[in-house]
Amino acid sequence: MTFATMVSQLAQGLLVSIEIFLLTLVGSLPLGLLVAFGRMSKFRPLRLVVQVYISIMRGTPLVLQLMVVYFGPAMLFGWSIPRFSAVILGMILNYAAYFAEIYRGGIESMPVGQYEAAEVLGYTKSQTFLKIILPQVFKRILPSVTNEVITLVKDTSLAYVVSVMEMFTLAKKIASSQTTLMPFVIAGVFYYIFNLVVAVIMERMERRLSYYR
Amino acid sequence: MKKKIVAILLAVLMLTMLMSGCQKPAADDADTARTFTVGFDAEFPPYGYIDDNGDYDGFDLALAAEVCDRLGWELKLQAIVWDSKDAELESGNIDCIWNGFTKSEERADQYTWTVPYVDNSQVIVVRNDSGIASLADLAGKTVMVQAGSSALSALESEDCADLTATFGDLLEVADYNAGFMELENGTVDAIAMDIGVANYQIATRGGGYTILDEAIATEVYAVGFLLGNTDLMYTVQGVLMEMAYDGTMLEIAEKYVDKGLVIDSLCLLD
Amino acid sequence: MNILEMNQIKKAFGDNQVLKGISLSVEKGEVVAIIGPSGSGKSTLLRCATFLETIDSGEIAYMGQKAAVTGQNGHAEYVSSAEMRKIRGYFGLVFQNFNLFPHYSVLKNVIDAPVSVQKRSRQESVEEARALLAKMGLSDKEESYPYQLSGGQQQRVSIVRALAMHPEILFFDEPTSALDPELTGEVLKVIRSLAEEHMTMVIVTHEMSFARAVADRVIFMDGGVIVEEGRPDDVMLNPQNERTASFLSRFTE
Repeated sequence: MTFATMVSQLAQGLLVSIEIFLLTLVGSLPLGLLVAFGRMSKFRPLRLVVQVYISIMRGTPLVLQLMVVYFGPAMLFGWSIPRFSAVILGMILNYAAYFAEIYRGGIESMPVGQYEAAEVLGYTKSQTFLKIILPQVFKRILPSVTNEVITLVKDTSLAYVVSVMEMFTLAKKIASSQTTLMPFVIAGVFYYIFNLVVAVIMERMERRLSYYR
Repeated sequence: MKKKIVAILLAVLMLTMLMSGCQKPAADDADTARTFTVGFDAEFPPYGYIDDNGDYDGFDLALAAEVCDRLGWELKLQAIVWDSKDAELESGNIDCIWNGFTKSEERADQYTWTVPYVDNSQVIVVRNDSGIASLADLAGKTVMVQAGSSALSALESEDCADLTATFGDLLEVADYNAGFMELENGTVDAIAMDIGVANYQIATRGGGYTILDEAIATEVYAVGFLLGNTDLMYTVQGVLMEMAYDGTMLEIAEKYVDKGLVIDSLCLLD
Repeated sequence: MNILEMNQIKKAFGDNQVLKGISLSVEKGEVVAIIGPSGSGKSTLLRCATFLETIDSGEIAYMGQKAAVTGQNGHAEYVSSAEMRKIRGYFGLVFQNFNLFPHYSVLKNVIDAPVSVQKRSRQESVEEARALLAKMGLSDKEESYPYQLSGGQQQRVSIVRALAMHPEILFFDEPTSALDPELTGEVLKVIRSLAEEHMTMVIVTHEMSFARAVADRVIFMDGGVIVEEGRPDDVMLNPQNERTASFLSRFTE
């Protein structure tokens, strides 16, 4: 296999990795907020269920969760979920749990004075949350979110466990078939560039939010 | 805040799409245009691998393609993670494992097998300049073997217990590629592996390695189906036999000789 | 008609009875100063008046509209949330720690509630906000963010924010306590100018001379009750109660 073929093969794998990355973020960022609400709910049973969910998601390996999402339904009920969907679903469920805890930390760190000022001014509860609290929470949690997002770039490689041909899976197979380590080198460079782009974007967002303190 | 709402809607939409993606497994509709899904790990040349153009290729895949041709089935090649092969089979995501799949004693009762079509041996590969010429020379040496491979189970079996006891160390490695790196670097003295794999690795690396004449074990490859799936097994096995008799199997095999396939190992041809 | 009417307000935090049956009424245009040692319940009274705390029993009414009543069972009950929202529009509150919204510019801090809560036109709100900011000497600060302002400037912005809602009565909860001493003057000057315009105000403060100069009435609270109240000169120069006298003596040295 020529070097060019190898690069183009791995670039296709990179596209899959990027797809996993983006869909996971689009799904888990909003879902994480809902989970955070559940975690902070005054309704105890809901709070407990969410707590258990978060503790399982954070207490077991993501690889195992992906296997459960993909193989579990097929073995129990004979439902076959497409591989790619299973990966996205598993990753969203996992990352939503992590994001939920980050949101919760951010929301709970907000000074009570902000709520009180909004209440006295007559803001409704949802106005208070959406206009006053959430934007500030977002700024507070951005560094932690950045950490997770960069971890996510690397976690896309875990899709191998259900044989989704993302970049790392492909690199491994090409390396074995062609008896060379070059695919890993190329994949490493691709991952690094991918993360560099992500880091630059996150840094820009942080800078955009630095207009206040 | 509209953005946030859009994001939530998107998420809901996506989940719905994921759910609607659920469908009955391919294995269940044994109708006219049957799809035959072959599971292989694409890391086991010459039986199943990725070729120079980035496509799947291999002796086993070519056999499967011919079988499907003759039966009017549609072949679906599904690359899998070797560790998940049982889950893939049980969940119905693949119909069979066809990838230089060793029918070992322990596996014999775990799958429904065709008759063996390859008789392979487990051999020891050393560097030409290693001074190792026989199994006895391995005493005190560091031997490497792929984790979970047939070579490992052979070495761990009672038949080899005496031999293994003489090794200085027995190390497990994730893949042969890394194993050869270690052999090249001299951090290990020998690697135990299938003879077909050994031939392929040595050929593509441009020589420099030797296979010891004494084998540590002999083994057979067959196609493994989910335990109890005998109908499907017999259908495939029938065509396989037919291909062996009419010479097609040999024709196909010859294309993979330069990839390390040993014609002598094809045991249906006699 | 009194703007604020509070009757027999009781409030406890656990076993701690913080307000032991306090009554307070404020007339239109009146400036009331509440003084007293810390822990006397004066801030809690203000928080009950502004609904940041719920009372255990008693009655609260603004402009003759009841917000909380106490029935036969002895527990205070509040009116519907729709009515509460209307009643909230009658008062404004200036916090000790300003509690400006850090992610909004000064102008946005002032106009956001008028526009998004009171649904007033943006243009009108902006014009009014600019006029108020100019009056407070903050004309050049409308594009600034709170962190760029001094404490005194932030507190003046928060007063403008409260005024922009057109309250009938304005509460101040120790408005200068969080400020460096050299910055208190500018805030007190603003409150004094509001008093001259006959803005109805209730001010919890530790600034005795300011209270005496600006208030129409001074209330001394201690231990959850009103110990003494009256014209500033009477209460502060000639206290009738021993507790008042001993409290005030700490400020005269």
